[in-house]
Amino acid sequence: MRHIADVAGRELRGLFVSPVAYGVLSLFSVLAGLFFIVTLAAFNEWIFRLQQFQAFDQLAELNLNEHLIGQFYHSMAVVLLFLVPGITMGLFASEKTNGTQELLLTSPLTVWDIVLGKFLAGAAFVLVLGAIVGAFPALLFVYGDPEPLWTLSGLLGVVLVGLTYVSIGAFASSLTRSQMVAFLLTFVVLLILLILPAISDLDVAGTGGAGEGLRWLSTETHLEELVKGLVDTQHLAYFAVMIAGFLVLTKASVESVRWR
Amino acid sequence: MIEARHLSKRYGDVVAVQDVSFEVGRGEVVGFLGPNGAGKTTTMRMLTGFLPPTDGTAVIAGHDIFADPLAARRAIGYLPEILPLYPEMSVRSYLDYVARIKDVPRRARRESVDRALERCGLAHEARRVIGTLSKGYRQRVGLAQAIVHDPAVLILDEPTVGLDPLQVREIRNLIRDLAAPRDGQPQHTVILSTHILPEVEAICRRVILMNEGRKAIDAPLAELTAGGRSLDEIFARETARDVASDVAEGAR
Repeated sequence: MRHIADVAGRELRGLFVSPVAYGVLSLFSVLAGLFFIVTLAAFNEWIFRLQQFQAFDQLAELNLNEHLIGQFYHSMAVVLLFLVPGITMGLFASEKTNGTQELLLTSPLTVWDIVLGKFLAGAAFVLVLGAIVGAFPALLFVYGDPEPLWTLSGLLGVVLVGLTYVSIGAFASSLTRSQMVAFLLTFVVLLILLILPAISDLDVAGTGGAGEGLRWLSTETHLEELVKGLVDTQHLAYFAVMIAGFLVLTKASVESVRWR
Repeated sequence: MIEARHLSKRYGDVVAVQDVSFEVGRGEVVGFLGPNGAGKTTTMRMLTGFLPPTDGTAVIAGHDIFADPLAARRAIGYLPEILPLYPEMSVRSYLDYVARIKDVPRRARRESVDRALERCGLAHEARRVIGTLSKGYRQRVGLAQAIVHDPAVLILDEPTVGLDPLQVREIRNLIRDLAAPRDGQPQHTVILSTHILPEVEAICRRVILMNEGRKAIDAPLAELTAGGRSLDEIFARETARDVASDVAEGAR
């Protein structure tokens, strides 16, 4: 286990000498700014309308956390869905094309050293993205009075969604030699996870129980609750199960190289 | 130093390596010969712990590859056929990384990297990015990676493939130098695979010839060529025979 930091350190340095990391960081910052401005504009517009119609009851119910920060968090979780696969696609696929997989597997490392090291590198990157997301609500504290804990709870949700994406992306990358295939595979799986509640709402099969199951599987369901400020063990457990589950699958997949 | 005991590897019905046993003593340099597909790479991959054998086991520097895999891997320096390089890293940072994952203690790390750079003639290229190096220099980095943790055993899979004649000679000298005794002590035990016969004559003192997954010949080079026969003839004769297995019996 003491080699996890070595593997993570190399992976991070590898990310930052390639243009991918900088591309993702700048694109993410631009999109975060854009979504924040758009959400803010919509919020202001709403206030303006409500004032026009003198709907003071509704105006009083308006809430920075619910109607501005929450919307922004949800948008950023969707942006993560596009960008995290770009970070994770090379985690294992590039080791195969470089031939370095053979170096790793013949070194005195355990497979967990490799898998956790790579996950930690991706996780560190997601934390940076989380800090970028957090910077925008932080601005609101200067001009308004959002609830600090509520704001943090949503941010935690965004970071946990990002970590789940890293875990899934790592698994996809371990399945293939091609970074492109890893990217697309991750993207499709994440997209399905995102829209599961919508599928569940269609209720095609007419079975409520299965619908609930699908809903539970979706990252969106649990993000929603955290964005509402509900830091419930049930939702934290969901993210823990997803992350750990895909890491176990990744470990099995990396190990399977030996048995092929 | 290396003890292969009845190593076999099967992929479904395909037998890649069948019941290969041999021992290599400290300081020996053994040439692993055979046509493509004879099972050389598979055997080496089993010794290094990359592939688990279907049957049999191996003991590297006293550590069984199943019972104590990490210690066995620590004792091996391995140059795979495909160079395991990160093109975006500098030579020094790459070797430093390899030293870390090979368990070189923190204090000895810089010295180990410097020594590997020095021995492989890379001292002036330490800061260069691997992706910009020529094939010959990349091969040297591959070798440096194999020796950076000063392993007891070196396993080199086709170390001179794709190099020009001058580079081939340099690499051969380097390998000979790695195996040469220093301060009266034998250094690395080396197994190298190749299908280039002059290479064996230039570097090795003992030959193991593989054919169709079996060990066909295991003898000192001097003994094989004693009757005035060239290695070329022996190679052609052995690999042409269908019943290489009885030779393997005879050699054991």
